[in-house]
Amino acid sequence: MREVQTSSKPLNNRAAAIAVGALLGLAVGLPGAAASEDEIQLRHKELLASTCFACHGVEGRRGEEVPALAGQSFRVLQAQLLAFRDDEVPDTTVMNRIAKGYTDEEIEALASYFSNLER
Amino acid sequence: MAGRSDNKQNRQEFSMDQPLINRRQALGLLGATGAVTALGSLGVPMTARAAGAGHVVVVGGGFGGATAAKFLKRFNPAVEVTLVEASEHFYTCPFSNWYLGGLREMAYIRHGYDELKDRYGVHVVHATAEDVDGDRHEVRLSTGERVRYDKLVLSPGIDFDWDGLEGYDEAAAEKAPHAWKAGEQTRLLRSQLEAMDDGGLFILRAPDNPFRCPPGPYERVSLIAHYFKEHKPRSKILLLDAKDNFSKQPLFMDGWEQVYGDMIEWVGASQDGNVISVDADNLTVETEFGSRHQADVLNIVPPQQAGFIAHRAGVADDSGWVPVKPQTFESTQVDDIYVVGDATIAAPMPKSGFCANAQAKVVASAIVSEFAGHEPPPAIWNNTCYSLIAPGYGISVAGVYKVIDGQIAEVPGSGGVSPRDTDEAFRAREAEYAVNWYEAMSEDTWGTRFRG
Repeated sequence: MREVQTSSKPLNNRAAAIAVGALLGLAVGLPGAAASEDEIQLRHKELLASTCFACHGVEGRRGEEVPALAGQSFRVLQAQLLAFRDDEVPDTTVMNRIAKGYTDEEIEALASYFSNLER
Repeated sequence: MAGRSDNKQNRQEFSMDQPLINRRQALGLLGATGAVTALGSLGVPMTARAAGAGHVVVVGGGFGGATAAKFLKRFNPAVEVTLVEASEHFYTCPFSNWYLGGLREMAYIRHGYDELKDRYGVHVVHATAEDVDGDRHEVRLSTGERVRYDKLVLSPGIDFDWDGLEGYDEAAAEKAPHAWKAGEQTRLLRSQLEAMDDGGLFILRAPDNPFRCPPGPYERVSLIAHYFKEHKPRSKILLLDAKDNFSKQPLFMDGWEQVYGDMIEWVGASQDGNVISVDADNLTVETEFGSRHQADVLNIVPPQQAGFIAHRAGVADDSGWVPVKPQTFESTQVDDIYVVGDATIAAPMPKSGFCANAQAKVVASAIVSEFAGHEPPPAIWNNTCYSLIAPGYGISVAGVYKVIDGQIAEVPGSGGVSPRDTDEAFRAREAEYAVNWYEAMSEDTWGTRFRG
């Protein structure tokens, strides 16, 4: 993340809606509390995010040699992942190779997940 | 390895002579002591049977098993999880080469189960899982107890095929170590390297595919070369390989030449590198076309198969490995048994600790989803693997995998190895990232904290 300037612009409405949904889902987290479709989406987002943990720390909170993800803004996370995928980040070593495995929707879900965590 | 028919006979025996612990008794025991004893931990509290949960037994506390236990609890804390692992500590193969090269202490690669017990409420039982009865949904432990499961996750790791290489058995491994399960074997190899005179010959025999940690033999000779260069610079390394190609090959070979000159010689199978017999007493090996080589220190990485318990459970096939359903990693042979890690047939994913960790998360998500009565989310796994050629000289391979047309496949365009033409700064950054990678995945798996 260090190559992109950090922005603290407020989330747009769409992102905020996803954010609220994710928070509610995470806070309740019990079977039956959400419709099955929502629960699958929550599980999907949670599983996608977990693919980042083994390098970026549990919930993206590690932040030593690799950047922390938790609490970064939605827009920065999304833009950065898309830039990695498009080979537009100079001096990348591995994230370009990894980001190419994720679709637009998956990148949006990841950005939503990590931006809704506290730093 | 026991076959399935043998297995059945054994099952009948143990089901006759061991009274099953009644769930009420087990609960009573839990209630009376308020502690999680080995016996009490076998009980399944009624709350676990409440809406959408169940009891999951996980066998094996390596990257796959410990991650499965942790993420089952993270995804749904109401799921009851029992982890069965013989040892109180797990020594990782990743970074064991750093120990061999003198770059890390043994304690650095040792991990425990405190986070699983204390933070996640996983019942950790230190016993060997000796048998599985898939029909009865029971695991038999070395203590004689039997544990009932709704879902079983096996993380069996590898066992060696002691019949697969002439002259190389468990006794031979005390003289010519494999050091392919980290721990005492790794210490033995290190002590032999330390005792070797300058000018000696170290021989490593690398196996044919598939085997645990495809870049492992090549990182190993790199870091042993580093140790020799510093302490025994006249020594040589001969890498005898049972195949003609290996992981990250051009990157390793460039690095060897650049850093170690002619210290490391690699011989592929077609150049007579395939070792067919071992004489551990004389530290001698013989190759396919009749060459004999005598070592001062001999490291044999033997042929491998899925760990013992996979065979007992009837989930391994004739290849010795475990076929799984791509989306969930449930066994194709026995219902309600999920298998993760090196034991599985998961190509093109490599047999790596990182992949075991990734597979365990997919399994945890699939089990939690099934308990809740809905479909699992689409599987996704990634792999990232760093190898060190020398201090400050790291290389990597990465990949993202999904189920495509019903098969596990690398997402087209994703992944790949470090670029071949790059600068020293790039290699230095990858060497730094290697340390972060090891520490982050260990923390993600066992909760091990390295700093602060």
